Amino acid sequence: MTSTVETQGLIEAKVAAEVLSPGAGQDVTPPMTRRRGVLTGIGFVFVVACLYSMWDIGVNPLTFWSERQDIFNLLDRMWVPRIEEPRLVWEAAIDTFLMAFAGTALGIFLAIPVAFLSANNVTTNRFVRGTARAFIVVTRALPELILALIFVRVYSIGVLPGVLALGLHSIGMLGKLFSDSIEQIDPGPREGVVSSGAGRFQEITTGILPQVIPSFIAISLYRLDINFRASTLLGLVGAGGIGLQIRAHQGSLDYEQLLGVTLVIIVLIAIVEIVSSKVRAVILGHDRSSPKGKGLAGSSRLLHRAKAADFAPDPKAPAAVVFDRDRLVPPWSRDRIIMWTFSSVCLLMLVLAFTIPDMSFLELVRGLPEIPQTFDRLIPRNMDWWQSRWGDLLIETVQMGFAATGLSLIFAIPTALLAARNVAPAQWVYNASRAFILGVRALPDLIVAVIFVAALGLGPQPGVLALAIGLYGFSTKLFADSIEEIKEGPRDGVRSTGATGIQETVTSVLPQAMPALVGHSLYVLDVSLRASTVLGIVGAGGIGFPLVQGTRLFQFDLVGGLLICIFVLVYAIELLSTWVRKQVI
Amino acid sequence: MTAVEGAARPATTPTPAASVVEVQNLVKTFDNGRVRALDDVTFSVPEGQLCVIIGLSGSGKSTLLRHLNGLHEPTSGSVTVLDRRVDQLKGSELRSLRTDVGFVFQQFNIVGRLSCLENVLSGALGRLRGPRMGVLSYPKSLRQEALTQLERVGLGDRAFQRTDTLSGGQQQRVAIARTLMQKPKIVLADEPVASLDPEISGQVMDVLFQACVEDQITVLCSLHQVDLAMGWASRLIGLQDGKIVLDSPVDDGLSQERVMEVYQRLDPEGRKISEYATSVVDLT
Repeated sequence: MTSTVETQGLIEAKVAAEVLSPGAGQDVTPPMTRRRGVLTGIGFVFVVACLYSMWDIGVNPLTFWSERQDIFNLLDRMWVPRIEEPRLVWEAAIDTFLMAFAGTALGIFLAIPVAFLSANNVTTNRFVRGTARAFIVVTRALPELILALIFVRVYSIGVLPGVLALGLHSIGMLGKLFSDSIEQIDPGPREGVVSSGAGRFQEITTGILPQVIPSFIAISLYRLDINFRASTLLGLVGAGGIGLQIRAHQGSLDYEQLLGVTLVIIVLIAIVEIVSSKVRAVILGHDRSSPKGKGLAGSSRLLHRAKAADFAPDPKAPAAVVFDRDRLVPPWSRDRIIMWTFSSVCLLMLVLAFTIPDMSFLELVRGLPEIPQTFDRLIPRNMDWWQSRWGDLLIETVQMGFAATGLSLIFAIPTALLAARNVAPAQWVYNASRAFILGVRALPDLIVAVIFVAALGLGPQPGVLALAIGLYGFSTKLFADSIEEIKEGPRDGVRSTGATGIQETVTSVLPQAMPALVGHSLYVLDVSLRASTVLGIVGAGGIGFPLVQGTRLFQFDLVGGLLICIFVLVYAIELLSTWVRKQVI
Repeated sequence: MTAVEGAARPATTPTPAASVVEVQNLVKTFDNGRVRALDDVTFSVPEGQLCVIIGLSGSGKSTLLRHLNGLHEPTSGSVTVLDRRVDQLKGSELRSLRTDVGFVFQQFNIVGRLSCLENVLSGALGRLRGPRMGVLSYPKSLRQEALTQLERVGLGDRAFQRTDTLSGGQQQRVAIARTLMQKPKIVLADEPVASLDPEISGQVMDVLFQACVEDQITVLCSLHQVDLAMGWASRLIGLQDGKIVLDSPVDDGLSQERVMEVYQRLDPEGRKISEYATSVVDLT
C-alpha cells in the first residue's frame, strides 16, 4: 500500500518539478504561502513590540553605558562588601537551601499524580485530563513570590510559607515536563508489557515508569536549581531564608552589607547549579548519549525527537555480572549503589528540612484549614477593587516584559555563537563565554533590581535593565546549547563549496538551529512577562507594587483581582507562544 | 482470576485438529477508510502449527497479527482466538487472553533500563496482582523460573545486566524469554528478526521455534526472509495489499516461484514494476 503511494508521489514530484522549473525571465521569488505570511507577520509584530516597549520605557542597549555614572556611584558606596554576622548569614543560607529542597519535594510529590492524569497516553478521560491540565496552567501562572505573600498571611513570617509557595508553584513546571516525558515514551516496551496480559497499574509501573524515571530525576534536579534561586528571594516578602537579610539591609540602606550578602548568594547559586548538574551526570551516566539524558526543560525536547533506534551492540558493554543463583537478588552494581546513595541523601535532606529550620509539621497542619478560607477571600465579589491606573500598570508590565526580552536577545544571540563549542572560533573563547554566562546566570534578577532601583530610582527602567541581565544569561545558555545540538553534515556540505566561516555559520548553522532559537525566544518572552509581574515588589515598576501593597493592607479582593489579570495575561502569552511554536516546527 | 488461569494450565494436548485461531472476513481500514490495511482476510490455524506469514512491508502482516491479541480492533469481521472473540473482549477478559497469547515484536519492546531478569519477570505480570518495581518485588519462585527461561535462550549469565547493554540478537532473546515466561498457548511473532543480520537472525529463529516446539506452542510468525520461513514453517500464508494471495503447507508441492510471486511489486496502474523499470528511466 505504502509502495504504491510512494511511486505515485515520485511521479507527481517529477511532474511538479517540471512545472516549477524557472524558465528564462520567470520570477523566482519564493511563493508567499499562508504559513510564510503568518510567520513574517508574527516576527514583525514581535520585533516592533520589543522596540516600541524599549523606546516607551526609555531603555536601549546603550543605557547601561549612559547610566554608568549612577551605577558606579552606587557600587562605590557598596564597596567594600562586608558581612557583620557571618553565623547568621550561614544559618540563613542553610535554611534557604532546605526550604528549596522541601519545596521541590512537595512539588514533585504533588506533580507526579497530576502529570499522569494529564498525559494523553495514560488518561483517556478528557474531562479528567482537562482538569489536570488546567491545574498545571494555574499553578504555573501564579508567581511563587505572590503565593509566598499569601502564605505569609496564614503562617506569618518564616520558612513554612516559602516551602508551600515553592511547592505549589513547582507543580506547574514539574507537572508539565513530567507529563511531556510520559507522552514521549517509546510505546514499544509498554506494548510488550500489555501484550503479556498486565493490568493498568502494572502497565504504568513496568512499562512506563522505568522509561521516565531518568528524565523525572533530571527535571527535578533542574527544578531544585530553579527553586534555590527563587528561595533566595522569598525572604523579600517575609518567607524566610537569606532574602530576609537582603530586605533588612535594603531597608537600612546598608549597601556594604547588601553587596556582601548578594555575593554570598551568587556563590551559593553557582555551587548549587554545578553540584546539581554533576549529580545529574552521575545518575544519568548510562543515558548520556540518549535523548532523555539531556532532556531538560523545553530546550532539548524541541530537537531531541526520538532518534532512530540503534541496535548495534554497545562496544563498552560490561562483562556479565556475577550473582547468586539461589537467592537471585540483584548484585550491588555501580548503578544500584548510586541510586541507593542518591535516595538516602534525598531522604536525609528531607528529614533535615523539617528539623533544622524553624518549621514544624504541626504548624503546617494547623494552618491547613485556613488556606481554603484565604484563597476564598481572594476571589473578588465585585469590581470595587478596580482602578483605571491598574490598567496602565498592566500595560506597563507587558511593555517591561517585551522590552527586557528585546534587550536581552540583542546581546544573547552573538554571545551564544561564541559559547557554542562547535561554532566558537577558539577553545579559550568558548571557555571564557561559558564562564561569563555562568556568572551572569547566578545573579538573581530581583536582587539586581534592588541594586538598580537604589542607583537609578523607582520605576520601570531599572526593572527592565535588571530583568534583561537575568534573561541574557538564561537565554544565552539555551541558545548556545541548541546550537551545539545541530548536525555537522550540512556544515561540511557548505564548507566544501568554499564558503567562509561566517557564511558557513549563517547558511548551515543558523537555519538548523532556527526552530529551537524561535522556540526559546518565545520561552524567554514567557519568563520575562512572569518576572515583570513581580518586579514591582522591589519598586521596579509594573503591577507588582499594588499587589504587595494589597497584601500588606489586607485588601484581598484587590490582590485576587490583580492575580486574575496576571493569570489572563500570562496564559494568553503562553497560548500564543505555543501556537507560534507549532507554526515554526 | 488471571493468576489461576495462567498457573493451572493443563499440560495435556487436546485433539490436534482443533483450531486455535479463527479469522473471518477481517477488514481493517485506517484514516477513516482511506487506507485499507486488511481486505477480507479469512483463515484458521490448528493447534501446534508453525505458520509463517510472508509479504512486502505494508502488506498487512503486522496489522493482522496485532488483531490476534487485541492490540487493534477490526473495522469489520471477526477474530476468534482460543475460542474467545478477541474483537469483543474488554478489560480483564482481554488481559487474560493476552496472558495466553505471547507476542514477540520486531523492535523487541523490552524496557532497556531494566535488567534482563526483570524484563523476563514482567512476562509474569498477568499472573500477578498489582504493580511491581524491581526484581525483589517478584516472589523467589518466579525469579527462579525467569532465570530458567533466560537460560533456555542462552542468556542465564546476563540476568542482572541492563538489557540495553546487550546486542540486538541478545535483546530479542530476552524478549523471547519474556514471552515464554507467560506460558502462552500461542506465540505471535511480528518480524522478529527484521532488524538483525542474517547470521543472528538464524540463531534467534532457532531459539524461538525450538522453544515453541518443546512447549507445544502454536506459532504465527511474519517474516521477510523466505529461506528462513521455508526452514521452520509447516505452513506459509502470503499477503499482498491486505489480501491473502498464498496459503499452502510447506512441502515439495510449493515452488520457489509461487512464493516469490507474493513479493511482486505493482505500480498504481497494476503493472508489475519489474516489467516497467525501463519506462521509469525514460522519465528522467
